[in-house]
Amino acid sequence: MKASVSWLSKIRHFYSNTTIAAPVTVLIVILVLFSLFVPKFFSFRSFSGIINAATLNGALAIGIAFLMVSGEFDLSVGSNLAISAYIYGNFSVAGQPFLGLIFALVVPALLGAVNGVILVWTGIPSFIVTLGTKYFYRGMLWVITTGSMLQTVDVLPMDKIFTGRLDLLNNLISEANFRNSLFWLLGLAFIFQIILGKTKFGNHVFSVGSNPGAALGQGVNVARVKILSFAISGLMAGVAGIFLFSQFHTVRVASGDGMDLYAIAAAVVGGTLITGGSGNIWGALVGALIISTLRTGVVLLNIPFIPADNFEAIVGVTIILAAILNMYISKRK
Amino acid sequence: MIEVNHERGRNSLVWMENITKKFGTICALRDINFGVQKGEVRALLGDNGAGKSTLIKILMGIHQPTVGQIYFEGRPVKIRSPKEAREIGIEAVYQDLALVNLMSISRNFFLGREVVKKVGPLKFLDLKNMESICRSSLHDIGIEIRSATERVGSLSGGERQSIAIGRGVYFGAKVLILDEPTSALSVAETRKVLSYIENARERQLATIFITHNVHHVYMVADSYTIIRQGHNVGTYSKGELSEEDIADLITGDRES
Repeated sequence: MKASVSWLSKIRHFYSNTTIAAPVTVLIVILVLFSLFVPKFFSFRSFSGIINAATLNGALAIGIAFLMVSGEFDLSVGSNLAISAYIYGNFSVAGQPFLGLIFALVVPALLGAVNGVILVWTGIPSFIVTLGTKYFYRGMLWVITTGSMLQTVDVLPMDKIFTGRLDLLNNLISEANFRNSLFWLLGLAFIFQIILGKTKFGNHVFSVGSNPGAALGQGVNVARVKILSFAISGLMAGVAGIFLFSQFHTVRVASGDGMDLYAIAAAVVGGTLITGGSGNIWGALVGALIISTLRTGVVLLNIPFIPADNFEAIVGVTIILAAILNMYISKRK
Repeated sequence: MIEVNHERGRNSLVWMENITKKFGTICALRDINFGVQKGEVRALLGDNGAGKSTLIKILMGIHQPTVGQIYFEGRPVKIRSPKEAREIGIEAVYQDLALVNLMSISRNFFLGREVVKKVGPLKFLDLKNMESICRSSLHDIGIEIRSATERVGSLSGGERQSIAIGRGVYFGAKVLILDEPTSALSVAETRKVLSYIENARERQLATIFITHNVHHVYMVADSYTIIRQGHNVGTYSKGELSEEDIADLITGDRES
């Protein structure tokens, strides 16, 4: 009896103190529901498929969640993703994959930092700044590539490392089709969650997102924190671009368009406050998984009035429900 | 009324001498003399727009005086930013700008002065240490908290004020500037906050208590400086004037 009471209080404590409690619960609930009601859903084939489909959004969502904790958000990550994919692709095709890797990370990180610099200098809200750079960055990409798509049929030297099949796991589980990108995502989420939760810089990110005036009053360099957070958002868009080209060997000028909003959706569904000051990187990954699970479930369900192409309707409902759930939990604290 | 004496003023902890501040053609402050001594609670009284916050912003380094000189511990100083003010020991506690609501008490306590431990070349927050230092140092000045990991947003206004005051005391502030610390508090909470101010006085801190309402400060202040429309009305010691008299001086219903 006593043990069960302490268990209950532990669960309650977990719920009231962890921003990822709600999204984890949501993910488990929809996984169970789909497993019960959707034929063929409960299999490692669909689970690994869900994870693979969440890779790009997950990478973007890691950066977006970090940035959102600092109180800003970034609509230009979709454009940055395409820029990174072109850089990585062109260098790789030319036989310089390592150089491509470096530039595909540094350029988006710098473009992200430019968002931050504009924001800090002008005081224009991030919505407007990144709406502008979203179009400007993609426009510049069009000019530089003259609008032509980049495609290769060759196997690139670093494909295996980023998006190759994760045979270690796949050999253990029949039907599973996990990819190496899963490792990278988990590693990056781990690193950025540590930075956010366990370092001085992370402490400053939270303070700037919740009350910039108080942060400034305590000697926090608010401008530096914002610019660095934007750079991290850009960097993760660079990672997503590398994944994209590594896996599909194709990039168009329009690649990644609209993914910015999906990433924000994943962060919000994952428990990050849109107003800043609260959030969790793992939650953003869970958010990306929730969206991906819904898509797979809807495809398999074959509902007549919700075709797979129209699963956006379900994402929309999920975002609003997640926001309501987050608000309810934070009010109960 | 206490006569202005520059010689004596310069020997107190903080002395702002002949401060004039103009914003364009508007003269916000004219020839103000204001200071506070160790172990003194000085009320800075004035109606809305009288110039209280301008004067304090000059002391905090947010504004520079057009004319005038600040002395700190007897030496002339130039305070160029809130950071510089804090470095010499001037700590301001603003009602909305003191603490970050979504962060825990201990993370707030150490914000900008985090305790880190080294793991190889990396530095991580020493959260356990921060929590225990925060808890014990607040306890030392009579502030009890339920848990250092509790979010500040769930605390009452009085608890937040007291934590901000406690933080200033712990980090060695010599001057505490409190901006309307009790104006939004219940009677019981106001008493508590006043008791922390008395505690700070016993520790020989100088306290500047800014308010437009004399009732809030009458219990605790040792002396009062009243300003009206950017002018010094006068400085009075405790017991010299009734609450009524002070209120009349603030509004200008009575001349000094």
